[in-house]
Amino acid sequence: MRPLQVPEEEYLRRGHVGCAGCGAVIAMRFALKALGPDTVVVIPACCWGVIAGAYPQSSLDVPILHAAFATAGATASGVRAALDMRGEPDTTVMAWAGDGGTFDIGLQSLSGAVERDEDILYVCYDNEAYMNTGVQRSSSTPYGTRTTTTPREGWKRTRKKNIMETLAAHRIAYAATASIAYPEDMIRKFRKARDLKGHARFLHVFASCPTGWGVPSELTVKLARLAVRTNVFPLYEVENGVSYTLNTEGDLPVRAYLSPQGRFRHLSPEDIQDIQRMVDEDWRLLRAKAQGPPQRARLMA
Amino acid sequence: MEIHTALSKQPAVLLACSTLSTDTNMTGTWRFVRPFHDEKTAPCGAACPAGEDIARIQMLTGRGAFRDAVETILLENPFPATCGRVCFQFCEGACNRASFDDPVGIRYVERFLGDMALAEGWARVPLKEPETPRKAAVIGAGPAGLSAAYFLGLLGWSCEVFEAAREPGGLMRWGIPAYRLSKDVLQREVARILRLGIVIKYGRTVRPQDLARIREEYDAVFVGCGLSRSIRLQIPGEDLALEGLDFLGRIRRGEVDAVSGTAAVIGGGNTAMDVARSLVRLGAEPIIVYRRRREDMPAFEHEIIMALEEGVRLMELVSPLKANRDGEDIILTLQEMRPAGVGPDGRARVAPDGERRQSLRVRSLFTALGSSAAPEWAPPAEQSQQLLRLGHITIRNGPAPLVFGGDLTNETQSVTDAVASGKMAALALDTCLEEGWERIIQSLGRARVGPGPALSMESYLGGARADRNRTVVSFEQLNMDYFQPLQRILPTIQSPEERRAGFSEIEGVYKKEEARAEATRCFNCGICNECDNCRIFCPEVAVEAGSGRRILLDYCKGCGICVVECPRNALSLEEEAS
Ligand SMILES: Cc1ncc(C[n+]2csc(CCOP(=O)(O)OP(=O)(O)O)c2C)c(N)n1
Ligand code: SF4
Ligand SMILES: [Mg+2]
Repeated sequence: MRPLQVPEEEYLRRGHVGCAGCGAVIAMRFALKALGPDTVVVIPACCWGVIAGAYPQSSLDVPILHAAFATAGATASGVRAALDMRGEPDTTVMAWAGDGGTFDIGLQSLSGAVERDEDILYVCYDNEAYMNTGVQRSSSTPYGTRTTTTPREGWKRTRKKNIMETLAAHRIAYAATASIAYPEDMIRKFRKARDLKGHARFLHVFASCPTGWGVPSELTVKLARLAVRTNVFPLYEVENGVSYTLNTEGDLPVRAYLSPQGRFRHLSPEDIQDIQRMVDEDWRLLRAKAQGPPQRARLMA
Repeated sequence: MEIHTALSKQPAVLLACSTLSTDTNMTGTWRFVRPFHDEKTAPCGAACPAGEDIARIQMLTGRGAFRDAVETILLENPFPATCGRVCFQFCEGACNRASFDDPVGIRYVERFLGDMALAEGWARVPLKEPETPRKAAVIGAGPAGLSAAYFLGLLGWSCEVFEAAREPGGLMRWGIPAYRLSKDVLQREVARILRLGIVIKYGRTVRPQDLARIREEYDAVFVGCGLSRSIRLQIPGEDLALEGLDFLGRIRRGEVDAVSGTAAVIGGGNTAMDVARSLVRLGAEPIIVYRRRREDMPAFEHEIIMALEEGVRLMELVSPLKANRDGEDIILTLQEMRPAGVGPDGRARVAPDGERRQSLRVRSLFTALGSSAAPEWAPPAEQSQQLLRLGHITIRNGPAPLVFGGDLTNETQSVTDAVASGKMAALALDTCLEEGWERIIQSLGRARVGPGPALSMESYLGGARADRNRTVVSFEQLNMDYFQPLQRILPTIQSPEERRAGFSEIEGVYKKEEARAEATRCFNCGICNECDNCRIFCPEVAVEAGSGRRILLDYCKGCGICVVECPRNALSLEEEAS
């Protein structure tokens, strides 16, 4: 086994108030290891708004600007403009929003910023529901999920919005998916995005949420890996909205990913078959767009 | 308008700005389970009679830290170059990697390291100095006696070894054919042992009646004189047969140049294979005559395969009744046998198949039926408070404690088991003289590798390995997400034609890169190899690197990610005391 190569630099402070086993914290930790200290983070309302620290504390060693829920894209654009005016064009501006703040309420703000091709990096850390307010469904919540707003037999029967396609449709310079289970791949993508200066860039980061998903906290990384290995969350990159590169190919059935999770426990074998069909269909569509064969997902070490 | 003016005059927007970090929040108080680095026992090391720290040896070799790897072996086994050639590799049979692709080539790596140690002149020096000088007598310079002397030497004792022959090595010198172990390698490994100040007195046959006098002159005595009585067939005409081990010894002394014609070798153990394979090399056409079936043979499968490849023939289910001379030939009369269920010992049983007989005409006849202790050297059998039977040794208390070891007491007769016996003797004797007779069991218990019975010198001396959890890591406890299938690397090996042509060593040795590559196939089950997954994935930045890895309990929330993401089960979770 080749040990994982992850930069030593640390911009996440100890003592933050994320839940035990929080995937979104791991995501931020890797993101800043990749981006380095010359970064300003814009955080709208979301779990990370809390994890970043209550005044007068901060859990990051880079500046953070807290923003209103719907405004990550707009606020980041403004910070960019201000930095440019101050003669600090090299500083990376990273909007860091949840799935609710990205797929739902912040979508117009994000869309505008991308359409204007603002020089920002927009990251959605995706825990697939409004977690900070107690697990309400978002348009990122996948088919089959129980949340507090899709409870019991009312489990969610619509599919997860394909945010990557939304961004691709904007012909964004760079969009990629990343996972906390694959730190080297994730760090590479963050650096690639950082270095694509002058354009809007988007990263969709899978961040498991043991609290909201009903899974033991020790499985955070394992689940993120299973999401990739089952093609539930394929790792890929899109340049200029048209040029697709697949980084991985799953080798396991979706059951392996679904069965450890409380939020899917109610699903019947037939429901799981339905989900398998949807995942297979999405995978086929994605395969058709990509050039060249994917690498196998498990071969990371 | 006013506001606008005010803002333009005073461009600084008033925002609450944090100035402190979260470091002061002791989130460790949230925890109800506690992860901790908990090194465990790898199955290979637990299966190694010599108790070698194989997982660690592979880790060091994989890093190219060859000298450290050699020193790790030499703490537990004085014969890596020898065992790297002749060991029956119980370790590889237990290796967890077998459940994934193929076991790690542990013996090949050991041979590489053993040869490198000889080439570089690497050796161990004594690890402690007893308060009063101690002196042991060792009877027999075979693998057990030399191991006992070596380990006592590491413990600061001085030793004198009495050897009847003119050369050291015992069965390693006279009983193992040169194509498996060259004389040169053995001599150099013995020379390294002698660097501890051990003296061998050659040509000194010790008789049981000499023991009393020897016990007066030394602080302890180790008897490792081996099994000198070969088991007989007890059939008419047996005198026409040569005893297998004697024959191997004659070959190694250079007394046999060639053997021609058909040769029958009676037996199914490893010695029978050695004799038959040696006969091939001397020009004969050997047939192994065995009363059970091939699958019942006590010889190791690998040895059987090699023998058959070299042209040895095999007759199964025939039992010799008599041997008659017929001119230059010998006629062997054989009773045909048939399988007859399984005996109480779990071994297949055979019974005569009526009156069915065969006769076999051969030019020469050999027996290889094993050996037993000469009656005068049989270890004491009585029950007594002053006598301990401990698996690899039997020890009798007295002013100078007396140990019987090696093949006299070992259940499995192998070089590695002999090393185990010598080590157990050394640890028991050292304990007996330093702490007292009644402390032996406890002291050996402390030195146990995993659940035992293998013992570790490192643990005996209170090294880091003594703290290792004795639970053996199973394949299911490893995290395979971090491994990919990799082909086992094989050293060069002679073709059957090359092998038949002479007695040169069959197996080649890894090149450096091959040894490193093969060693990195090892999962390092149960031990921290500083891959840092625990540190990388911790959401609390609560794992610190230093020498080893440390969990900062002030911050650890007990999520357990480190425990799951450790590929090799070197961490555990325990409930927090409330
Ligand atoms: C306009 C507005 N509506 C509602 C809220 C309450 N609120 C705060 S965080 C949050 C959920 C955010 O969900 P998501 O963006 O997915 O981030 P997560 O908490 O899951 O990390 C909500 C609804 C708010 N702060 N502002
Ligand atoms: S993988 Fe390595 S540590 Fe594990 S059993 Fe095999 S040799 Fe030993
Ligand atoms: Mg969310």
